[in-house]
Amino acid sequence: MREDFGGYLLQRPSDGTPLHVHIDDTTLRDGEQTAGVVFANEEKLHIAKLLDQVGVYQIEAGIPVMGGDEKIAVAQIAALDLNCSILAWNRAVVSDVQASLDCGVDAVAISMSSSDIHIEHKLRQSREWVLESVKRAVTFAKDHNVYVSVNAEDASRSDMEFLLSFARTARDAGADRLRFCDTLGILDPFNTFMKIKTVIDVVGIDVEMHTHNDFGMATANAIAGIKAGARFVNTTVNGLGERAGNAALEEVVMAIKYIEGIDLGLNTGKFRELSEYVAIASDRPIPAWKPIVGANLFAYECENRSSVCLFDPGSYEVFPPEAVGLQRRFILGKYSGVGTLRLKLAEHGIAITDDEAALFIVRIRSKSVSLKRALFDEELLDYHRAEIGAVREELRETEFGGRDLLEDAAADVGAVLSEVGDES
Amino acid sequence: MRASPLRPGRFESRFTAARNEVFLVDNTLRDGEQTAGVVFANQEKVRIAKLLSDIGVHELEAGSPWLCAEERQAISEISSLGLSSRILAFCHADTEHIRMAADCGVDGVIISMSTSDRHIQKKYGRDRTWLLETVGEAATAARDAGLPFVISAEDASRTSLDFLLAFAVAAEKLGAERFRFCDSLSLFDPFMSFQRVQTLLEAISIDVEVHCHNDFGMATANSLAGIRAGARYVTVSVNGLGERTGNAALEEVVMALKYLDGNDLGITTGQFREISEYVARASSRAIPIWKAIVGTNVFAHESGIHADGVIKNPLTYEVFSPDEVGLARQLVVGKHSGSRTIQYKFKEFGIDLTDVEANDILAMTRTMSVDLKRALFEKELMYIYQDFLRLKAERPDQVDDTDDDE
Repeated sequence: MREDFGGYLLQRPSDGTPLHVHIDDTTLRDGEQTAGVVFANEEKLHIAKLLDQVGVYQIEAGIPVMGGDEKIAVAQIAALDLNCSILAWNRAVVSDVQASLDCGVDAVAISMSSSDIHIEHKLRQSREWVLESVKRAVTFAKDHNVYVSVNAEDASRSDMEFLLSFARTARDAGADRLRFCDTLGILDPFNTFMKIKTVIDVVGIDVEMHTHNDFGMATANAIAGIKAGARFVNTTVNGLGERAGNAALEEVVMAIKYIEGIDLGLNTGKFRELSEYVAIASDRPIPAWKPIVGANLFAYECENRSSVCLFDPGSYEVFPPEAVGLQRRFILGKYSGVGTLRLKLAEHGIAITDDEAALFIVRIRSKSVSLKRALFDEELLDYHRAEIGAVREELRETEFGGRDLLEDAAADVGAVLSEVGDES
Repeated sequence: MRASPLRPGRFESRFTAARNEVFLVDNTLRDGEQTAGVVFANQEKVRIAKLLSDIGVHELEAGSPWLCAEERQAISEISSLGLSSRILAFCHADTEHIRMAADCGVDGVIISMSTSDRHIQKKYGRDRTWLLETVGEAATAARDAGLPFVISAEDASRTSLDFLLAFAVAAEKLGAERFRFCDSLSLFDPFMSFQRVQTLLEAISIDVEVHCHNDFGMATANSLAGIRAGARYVTVSVNGLGERTGNAALEEVVMALKYLDGNDLGITTGQFREISEYVARASSRAIPIWKAIVGTNVFAHESGIHADGVIKNPLTYEVFSPDEVGLARQLVVGKHSGSRTIQYKFKEFGIDLTDVEANDILAMTRTMSVDLKRALFEKELMYIYQDFLRLKAERPDQVDDTDDDE
C-alpha cells in the first residue's frame, strides 16, 4: 500500500489511461560528445540495436552535418528499421537539417541557446535572431514531414519570459516538443518542477527533460520534470555525457518504476549488458558502485546484511539483481560474520562447525584488516587449509566446549555476531 | 493537465533567513568503510579525519567501536587529536556498545535501530514495544556516560509514518540531541524527502539529520530536499563512499548548497580534489573522471560549441571556476572539436593559425581521432601540424574540408 505523500507522487492520468513517459536516449550524441569519447560506427550500430531491444522510444543517433563517418553512421542506423524512432541533432540552421534529412531519419532535434549569457557571449546575436533562426529551421523541417524537437539550450539559465516566447515560437512553427536543457546541471528538483510546470501550463507544448549531473542531480531533476508533466526524457547509458554526464537511462527507468511506482515496460534485464558494452566502447569502465548496474550493488560484506539476505532479500533490496542483469554476491571481509563464512565455504563444499566458525572468523577479520581489503575465494580456501588445524587444536585445548565457546567468541567480537542493525 | 497539489510556497526553504545553519556529518570512516571490499588502515583513518577537520567539516563519525580492537584504537586516536570537528561513534542500541564508545573518548554517539516492520520482524525477530524499550536502555546508558547522543532510525523511509513519528517523539523524550532519518534503501525522491522531513519537524522540536543513499542516483538531491524542509544536519561521505552505491557525496552537497541554494557553509573547497584523491587511494576506488565536482573531466571541453563558448567566456559552460575545487580547465581536441579550439590550442604552442588553416587541421584531427577512437594528445597535434606543413608545401591548393560544427 503506497502512501500518497499529500499528492506528491507521480500520478496516472485521471481518465485511467496508462502514463507514458518516452525515453529518448542520447548516448550516441551527447554521450559521444563527452571529451575523449569516440565510438566506432559498428559500435554505434550495436548500441542502437541494444537500445531498441531494451525498448526505448527514440534514439538520438548523431550530428549528420559533421559529415564523414558521423553522417554515415546516422544513415546506417536509420536504415536498420528498428522499432524506435531515430532522431538527428542539428543547430538551428537549414543546411544542418538538410544533412539530417539526407540520412533518412524520422525526427530531428533543432538546438538553439535561449539564455542571454549564451546569446550574448557565445552566439553574439540578439533574442530576435534566435527566434527567427528557430522559426526558419523548424518550418523547413516540418515542410519535410519529420518529427521536430526544439532544444532550448541553457534553458535553466534563461529568462522565463523569453523562454516562454521561445517555446511559443517553436510551437507555432510546428515543433512537436520542446527539449528543456539544464545544460550546466544547475537546477535542483524543486526549481525544475516549477519551471517545467510553468512552460507546460503557459505554452501547452510537450516537454522533454535534458539534465546534467554537475551537482549530482541529473536523475532527480529528470524525475522532477516528469512529475511536473514532462512526458519525454533524454537519457544516456551509464550517464555518459559532457563533463559529469547526463541522466542515466538505467537510473531514470528504475526510479520511475520503483520510487514512483510506474512500470514503463522496458526490458531492464538487458541493462547490465548494455552498460557493459557502452563502458567498453567509450573506454569508461562502470564503477563498482554505479547505481543500478554497478557490480557492487548486490554485494554484501556486513554480517547483518549478509545473514539477513540469506532469508529475506527484501530487507535490503528494492529489486532483485536479475531485474537489471546482475547477480547477488557475498564478500568476506572485516565486517563479515559466521553466516557469510559458512556460506562461502559451503559454496566450495566445505562444512564447518559453529565452534570452528566462531574462532575462524576472528582470524579472517584480522587477515582482511592487514590486507586492507576483502578476501578472494581462493585466499579463503588457502587460509582455511592452512589454519583449520590450528583452530581445531585451539578448540581441543580449551576446557570450555560446545556452545559456551561460541558465546565467548561472539561476545569477544561484539555485536557483529549477536546483534543486528547496521545502519546504512 | 492534472491539477497539481504542488504550489511554490510548499517548497520554500526554511533557511532563507538563516544561512549557514547546516552541519555536515561525515561518514567516510564508518558507512564509507562499511562498503563491501573497503578497509582503511588506521593511519589512513587518522589522516582522513585530519583532512576533513581542516576543511571545516563539523562532525565526523569515526567508526563502530564494537567491531574490533583495531577499530577502537582508531576511534580513540582520532578523538585524542583535538580536532575542531566533533567526533562521534556509531553504536547499535546496546549498552555495551555505548560503554565501548565512551572508553574511546568520543564527543557523542549515534544510537541506531531499524524502525521498519520488515526489519523489526525479519531482522530482530521482535516487536515495536521491544524496540522502544531497547532504545530507552541505550539512551540511559549514553546519559549515564555523559555522552550526547543522536537517535538514528534505519530504514526510516519504509517505516509507517505513525510509528516513525512515535519513535521520533520517543527519541526527543529520551533526550536525543537530534533524530537521524535514514533512507537506507533509497526509496524516496526529493519531493517525498521534503514532505517526510517537514512532517517530522512538525512533530518534534529537536533537529533532524538526513541520511540518504544513492541507489537511484538521487542521494544528493534527497539530502538537499531534506535541508530545504528544515533538516539542519546532513550525512555525507567523501566521493559518496558507502554501502552499495554509496551516500550523498560531501563535495556535491557542499557545492550544491553553495551554488544552487546560495548557502555557503564556509568549507575550504579548494582541498576537495586532494581529499577525494586520498580517499580514492585508501579505499582502492578510483575517482571516475566524470565524477560530479571532483572528476578530472568535469572541466574538460571537447565539442566545438562548448569549447568555443568557454574560450569566449567560461561562464557559458561553467558554474564555478575549476580552482575552487582544486581542478584545472582543459580543452580537449577530438572528434567533436571545432576550428576555434584548434586555433586556441595552437596559440598555446605559440602558433597563430588562419581560419582556413585551422579548418584544414581540424579535418586532419577529426580523422585521426575517429581512427584512434579517442581524443588526441598535444604531441599528436604537433605531429599533425608537421604533416600539415609538409602537405601545404607539396600541394598549396590542398582541398578544404567541410565546415566545422560550431
